Amino acid sequence: MLTQRKEIHYMDNNKMLLGVYDNPDTTLDVTKSLKEKGYDVYDVYTPFAVHNLDRVLGVKRSRLSSAAFVFAMTGLTSAVSLQSFTSYFDWPMLIGGKPFLHIPTYIPITFELSILFTAFGMVGCFFIVNKMFWGRNTNIIDLRVTDDRFVIAVNVHEGKTDVNELSNIFKQGGALEVRERINEL
Amino acid sequence: MSYESPIREPLVNGGKTYADVTRDILRPMENKASKGWWIGFTVSAIVLGIWIAASTYTFLTGLGVWGLNKTVGWAFDITNFVFWVGIGHAGTLISAVLLLFRQKWRMSINRSAEAMTIFAVLCAASFILSHMGRPWVAYWPIPLPNAFGTLWVNFNSPLVWDVFAISTYFSVSLVFWYIGLIPDIATTRDRAIGIRRSIYNFLSMGWNGSTRTWHRYEMISLILAGISTPLVFSVHSIVSMDFATSLVPGWHTTIFPPYFVAGAIFSGFGMVLTLLVIGRVVLKQEEYITLGHLDAMCRVVMLTGTMVGLAYITEFFVAAYSGVEYEQYAFINRATGPYWWSYWIMMGCNLIAPQVFWTKWARSTPWFIFVMSIIVNIGMWFERFVIIVTSLHRDFLPSSWTMYTPTLTEFMILFGSFGLFFTLYFLFIRYLPTINMAEVKSIIPTHSHDKHANHAHAEKGDSLHG
Repeated sequence: MLTQRKEIHYMDNNKMLLGVYDNPDTTLDVTKSLKEKGYDVYDVYTPFAVHNLDRVLGVKRSRLSSAAFVFAMTGLTSAVSLQSFTSYFDWPMLIGGKPFLHIPTYIPITFELSILFTAFGMVGCFFIVNKMFWGRNTNIIDLRVTDDRFVIAVNVHEGKTDVNELSNIFKQGGALEVRERINEL
Repeated sequence: MSYESPIREPLVNGGKTYADVTRDILRPMENKASKGWWIGFTVSAIVLGIWIAASTYTFLTGLGVWGLNKTVGWAFDITNFVFWVGIGHAGTLISAVLLLFRQKWRMSINRSAEAMTIFAVLCAASFILSHMGRPWVAYWPIPLPNAFGTLWVNFNSPLVWDVFAISTYFSVSLVFWYIGLIPDIATTRDRAIGIRRSIYNFLSMGWNGSTRTWHRYEMISLILAGISTPLVFSVHSIVSMDFATSLVPGWHTTIFPPYFVAGAIFSGFGMVLTLLVIGRVVLKQEEYITLGHLDAMCRVVMLTGTMVGLAYITEFFVAAYSGVEYEQYAFINRATGPYWWSYWIMMGCNLIAPQVFWTKWARSTPWFIFVMSIIVNIGMWFERFVIIVTSLHRDFLPSSWTMYTPTLTEFMILFGSFGLFFTLYFLFIRYLPTINMAEVKSIIPTHSHDKHANHAHAEKGDSLHG
C-alpha cells in the first residue's frame, strides 16, 4: 500500500485521461504530438517494448549500466581479496611447490564472481527502481495492456488541461476508446 | 513497429495479430491438460522415480555399486555431468549471443531453450553430487572457515573453479530466464481468475507495462546478455580444464576449451531440436517455430559438428607432432583399442552424420531432423565417454591396465536423469508460457491483420538469416 500511495503522490493529481490504441505506430505518433503540444503525458503502457517511445516520453537513460559496472568491480574485488586472503595471508598451503599468491589461477573465480555480482546486483537495482517485488498488487491501468492494447495516460490538471481538445487529439489519432480514470487517494 | 522485408521469409507465419499471439501461446496453459501431456508427464515421472531409486541405493550403499575401479575412477558420472552441462549451453547461446547479434529468429525459441538450460544444469549438478560419493559433505568445495581450523579450499584447483562456474551459471541463467518471464507472467495474470490469478499476480512482481519499466527492462536484458555471453564460454572452458590441466595423456591438451565449447553448442542445439520438433506440433506452435527456425538450427548443428570433428582430427595431429609416445598411444588406442566402437560412434554421430544438413531436404524435414537430433545427443554422450574412459583405462603402469563396465545402477541413474529433465520440462510447458510473447509481438508486422489476411504465407522452409 505504501508504494501505491507514493506513486499516486508522484502523479500529483488524481485524474487522468486515457487513450486506448491497438497499434504501436499510432501510439507513438499521438504521444509525440501530445508532448509537442505540452500535455502532461504521465506514461504509456504497452504489451511490448516500443522503440523510441522512451525517447519521445523523455525518459532519462537508465543508470543501470553504471550500476552494473560498480557491481562487477565489487565482485572482482571480493574475489581477489577472498582468494589472496585465504591462500596467502590466512593459511598458506604448499601444494606441488606452487606459489602461495598465484594470480593466474585466480582469474577464473574472479571472472565468475564478477559476473555473479553484476547479474544479481543489477537485477536487484532493477527491481528497486521499478518498485517490483513478489506479491505486489499493481495499479493496473487496463487489463488489456499486457495483451494487445496500448494506453496513453495523460494527467488532467483542473483549469489547465482542456479535456475536450485532448480527447479530440486522442480520437483523431485513431483511439479505440477514450476514458477518464480517477485514482483513489 | 516492425516491418517485413519482402524478400525474407516472415519470422512468424499465419498473419498473427497481437491477440492471436497471446491466445495461441497461452492455450496449453489455460485449458485442461491434454491426454498427451498426461502421458508424457506420467512416463517422465516414472523415469524420475528410477533416478530417485538408483541414487538412493547408491547413497545408502556407497560408490561400490558403480563399475569404477582404481584405474578408471571417473566414468559414467562425469560423462553424464559433462553431457548435461553441455546441453545446457544452447539456451544461453540462443538467448544471449543471438540477442547481441540481433538475430530475431531467436525470439520464438529462447524461452524453451533457457528452460532447457536450467533443467539440464540441475541434472548435471546431481551427477556432481552423486560423484562425490558423500553428498552430505558436498559443501566442502565452498570456501567456508570450517571446523578443522581455518583450512581453505585450494584455489589452484580447476575443480574448485568448476564449483564457482557452475553455480554462477545456474543462478545467472535462472535470473535471466525469470526476468524474461515477468511480462509474460503479467499477461497470464491479466487473463486468469481465482487462485491462478493470485499465483501469477505474486510472480508478476507488479508488472504494468509502463514505458519507464520497459526502458529499464530493455537495458537490463542487454546487459544480462552481454555478461552471459562470456559466462557461457567460460563455464565450459572451465569444465574442460578439469581434464586439460591434468597430466593424463588424452586429457592434457590445450585445444580442450574451444573444442568443449563447440561441442556444448552442438549438443545443446541437438537437444533444442529434439524438444522443439515435437513441441511445435504438440503445442500447435508451427506458425511460431517455423521450418525456417529448424533450418537455422540445423545449420548451427552442422557448423559446430564440423568444428568438433576438426578438433578430433587436430588432436590426432598434435599427438603425432608432439613426439610424446604416451600421447600418441592414447589416441591410437582410442581409435583402435578395446573401446574402438565408442570412438567410431562419436566420429560417426558428430562429424559425419551432421554433414547431411548440407542438403535442403534434410534441413526442412522435421522427422529427419528429429532422428538427427537424437543421433547428435548420442554422439555427444559418447564423446565424453571416449575422452574420459579411454584415456584412463590405459594407465602409465601396464599392470594397472583394466576395463570399465558400467553397472545397472549407473545405467539407471543415467536413464533416470532424463526423467528428472523431462518431468521439469513437462511442468514448464504446462504452467509457464513456452514462447516469449512480448518479444514475438514486437516482431509481428504492425498491420499484420489487414496486410496478411489476403496472402497468408504458406509454410516454406527458407532461411531466416538470409
